[in-house]
Amino acid sequence: MSRKTIGIVDYGVGNHASVQRAFQALGHACRLSNEKDFLASVDVMVLPGVGAFPSAMQALHSLDMVDFIRDQASEGKAIIGLCLGMQLLAEISLEHESTKGLGLIPGTVQPLQYSACHIGWNALEVLHQDPLFMPCNRMSVYFNHSYVFEVPEIYRAARVSIDGYSYTAAVRKGNVCGLQFHPEKSQTVGKQLLNRLVEGLAHAK
Amino acid sequence: MLNKRLIGVVTVKNGWAVQSFGYRRYLPLGKPEVLVHNLDRWGADEILLQCTDRSHPSVGPDFELLRKVSDLGISTPLIYSGGIRGREDALKVVSFGADRVMIDALLKNAPADVEAVARVLGIQAVIANLPTKNAPEGMLLLDYHSGHEMPLAEAVKLLPLDWISEVMLTDWYHEGYSEAFCMSLLAASDLLRKPLICFGGISTSHQIRALLANDSVVAIGVGNSLNYKEHAIQALKKDLFGVAIRPPYYESSTL
Repeated sequence: MSRKTIGIVDYGVGNHASVQRAFQALGHACRLSNEKDFLASVDVMVLPGVGAFPSAMQALHSLDMVDFIRDQASEGKAIIGLCLGMQLLAEISLEHESTKGLGLIPGTVQPLQYSACHIGWNALEVLHQDPLFMPCNRMSVYFNHSYVFEVPEIYRAARVSIDGYSYTAAVRKGNVCGLQFHPEKSQTVGKQLLNRLVEGLAHAK
Repeated sequence: MLNKRLIGVVTVKNGWAVQSFGYRRYLPLGKPEVLVHNLDRWGADEILLQCTDRSHPSVGPDFELLRKVSDLGISTPLIYSGGIRGREDALKVVSFGADRVMIDALLKNAPADVEAVARVLGIQAVIANLPTKNAPEGMLLLDYHSGHEMPLAEAVKLLPLDWISEVMLTDWYHEGYSEAFCMSLLAASDLLRKPLICFGGISTSHQIRALLANDSVVAIGVGNSLNYKEHAIQALKKDLFGVAIRPPYYESSTL
């Protein structure tokens, strides 16, 4: 494993400490920042998140980060969105109100159908044989969300099924990927997935 | 099917982890961060860190303890409870590494602030703690500060339950005692209409199995009884074979 540099986008809303500790425990150099020069220089940029979509987008706008993140993605930067951070990759969210997202992956963030919230550990079903995700197939990870990112099937990297409903658990479009669950709080399965994503996406850059 | 959860509960008073008996009598157990670390190693589905002496407005959440826990680099979801006075406290608690917040006094004292917390963190991150007791006159909700109890049926009308994801139904009277959780408290689900976490006087797999058989119960909180043997979470889960919970987690069973 080679040591990579990770930049966690600091937009004031999120579980930064847990995410930072997880990457550091994996041996990567990791820093929380909203300095564009630094974030442009890292191997992988991470959008963390615990919270509501409108507040998060508002925070990104106020830091003038929206166009910067879009530009980085178009230049091939490896980007990982975690939970709310994954939903921010969407074109639009219907959480509380209709809010435009970063638009890096087509799709809409919608309320869950089967229940108000999805909280707990569930097994992933990996799609398209994506090599970055395949070792996690049928492994349980921790979810905690009330909205879900519905994407065209081609961008759906993994799903989770509950009581007959199937939801997006992970998305990927080239070097941009997102995880609806919390890998940093999914014990060994989550940490190893994070490591594979960092290695795989940074290598593909 | 959504797996149900086994939550390891660490109760903290005056900065020390304690074994509590009905929140009236306490025995010291040691450093909270050590207990949290154990629960993380043993594969708890979530960990609840409940600080019982932080609710005076001048005190607030125990950020120093959260920092110590964060420094452990745990990879188990963390719920924090104690002294959350509103939106800013809740945001800071999450930035220190908690994934969800549990609210008690704020529910009654400032319901509008609960909405503010949910709007910024998302409803899924907000849990209500309702300390209840079954009495001849019906279920009663306890106000820890005043010691007064009021009928749960009346209290529910005042609580901002639209802004929380789950209710922790705490059998405070039996908390700390073996196999003592009052099963009739489950009738509260008809009033609350929220997924329930049961806590207080729950210690055996037999009892957990019976509680999880109720459709309204999504999680069980276990406290004291986890602290007297190694790998207590795995042992409990092993005994719960056939129940819809994540199987016991061992380092060697993963990738």
